[in-house]
Amino acid sequence: MSMLPIAKSLALGTIAWSAPLVLAAMGGFTSERSGIINIALEGKMLTAACAGFVCSMVWSNPYLPVLAAIGSATLLSLLHWLLTQKYRLDHVVSGMAINAIAAGGTNYLNNRFVSIGTSQIQVLPMTALWAIAYSLPFCLFLYSRYTRGGLRLFAVGNDPDKSRLLGVQPQRVRLLGLVATGVFTGLAGALLFTSAGQFTEGMTAGKGFIALAALIIGGWRPLHALAACLAFGFFQAVQLQLQGTKLAGADIPAQVFTSLPYIITVVALAGFLGKSKAPAGLGRL
Amino acid sequence: MRLSAAFAKGRSSWIREGWALWALIVASVLIIYGSFILVGAPPGQTSLDLIRGSLGSAARITGTLREVTPLLIAGAAVFLALKAGLFNIGVEGQFTVGGLAAAVVALRIPGPPGVVLAIAAGMLAGGLLALPAAAIKAYRGGHEVITTIMLNNVAGLITTALVAGPLKAPDSQSPETATVSAASYLPDILHVGAIEVSSGLLIGTLVAAGLWIWLKRGVGGYELRAVGANPIAARFAGIDVRRVILRAMTWSGAIGGLAGSVQVLGFQHYFNPDLSSGYGFDALGVALIGGSTPLGLFPSATLFGILNKGGTTIQVIDQVPKGITYVVLGMLMVIAAAIRFRKVAFVN
Repeated sequence: MSMLPIAKSLALGTIAWSAPLVLAAMGGFTSERSGIINIALEGKMLTAACAGFVCSMVWSNPYLPVLAAIGSATLLSLLHWLLTQKYRLDHVVSGMAINAIAAGGTNYLNNRFVSIGTSQIQVLPMTALWAIAYSLPFCLFLYSRYTRGGLRLFAVGNDPDKSRLLGVQPQRVRLLGLVATGVFTGLAGALLFTSAGQFTEGMTAGKGFIALAALIIGGWRPLHALAACLAFGFFQAVQLQLQGTKLAGADIPAQVFTSLPYIITVVALAGFLGKSKAPAGLGRL
Repeated sequence: MRLSAAFAKGRSSWIREGWALWALIVASVLIIYGSFILVGAPPGQTSLDLIRGSLGSAARITGTLREVTPLLIAGAAVFLALKAGLFNIGVEGQFTVGGLAAAVVALRIPGPPGVVLAIAAGMLAGGLLALPAAAIKAYRGGHEVITTIMLNNVAGLITTALVAGPLKAPDSQSPETATVSAASYLPDILHVGAIEVSSGLLIGTLVAAGLWIWLKRGVGGYELRAVGANPIAARFAGIDVRRVILRAMTWSGAIGGLAGSVQVLGFQHYFNPDLSSGYGFDALGVALIGGSTPLGLFPSATLFGILNKGGTTIQVIDQVPKGITYVVLGMLMVIAAAIRFRKVAFVN
């Protein structure tokens, strides 16, 4: 076997695997940089994928399901904003609750409103979604560095009290941040059902948490998070490539590769991979 | 008072007036009942079926108690960490590794000594899984929520790899361990009519009651509550905050592992990757709704047990998908947290 086809399939696999991670990680970026801990990326993606697929069965139109996916994820994001900012719930509790509601709600929809063996659905071309996913980190990098809105986002996330004194309203900035989270995780969900051509329960399979891990390893910086997502996608592509082959004479279970992103994240949080600075105001009112 | 608190207090008086909380409750009930109606299940009848399905007969009550047991122990695990101001999202993973460790030990050493060792092994495994999260929180300041989420995934993947490979029962088609011998089962302690009460429930009761006494009377319990209430004040009072955090999280993990070993020895009798099926996540709801004392764990674990058991019934009888119970769970968590917030901000 020559090396070229392997390299090509590895590259393609990495792009396909990383794209939803990048979108979700950027969703996490706008939320956590505004100071809102977001462990609900998983639930938002899952809901978006489900809503998008249900809509694509109803309408044969490639755009409306994507809008439905974005809309449903944004709705959950707004709920997160309402609960954390107005009801002042702990961000972790709100996130866990949203994940539970998403898992239960998609089970409900899937069992009663998704018929098995549906016909071909109309979807956007994957390349369009990939283009959005991979240009997003660069846009966010420039936005957060050089625009007023981006600087305010960082200011609110680092010190809500001082931002208030300067006339910036943290709750408003966070509202915008969370709407962006909804849009990006919605696109991630759209990407999932588009590439699978269907919805299955729990199809996010921890991707929301891997995206969060990538964000943390990237030090809450968009381009670094992109790199981390690509690395995780590459691991996955290598694992798929190696499936069934023996490495150095030993049969390494696939799960060892799959758990690498999580282990690396724990090591990174222990501070062994250089100091990564979380937004100072993360989780504060 | 922090400036932010002063600002927020002035602006969100609508929360203080209380109708916002009612809005939350009414919206939740409407969504649940709406989802019943949407699939053609009359809400009143469905709610009755849920109660009947979980408490309607001796066999069903036995089944509900089987649900209550892991929820109670895992809830106690979350509660302990919560009292120290820590979120142990990792109970799901600790439950899983605890269950596997208990199954492995019980398979090697049958009989009562094996049971004791298996429970010890389960607690050790759970504690060890929580240890990195505890140490990172105490000495490096890394957020315990993120580390425990990551460790959950690691635990799930590694245990799956183990029971698919070296620990797989030779005669089984699916990834699971062999069944432990009947001598290693946790016995039933009580038969009230046809209702069977497992000693697992007794273990859970002892854990929750012990936690209550320890938090109330023990020096360690006092220190733990002090750290949870205000770590900075606790440090000035001479409490070793890092040590308290390290211990609280590790013991929380050990109790999570205990929940897994009771599930294996008392009910399932073998390990498979689906052992927990979400008890670790439900436990967070159990602990939050339980309120401020471990005694609150009893009613809240019972409530969740009824939901879990009755949810299966309404899926069969009323064709309401079981997922709706998770939606209820999420909403209960939100409402409980919203009530608790009001207490914290306006009673003190």
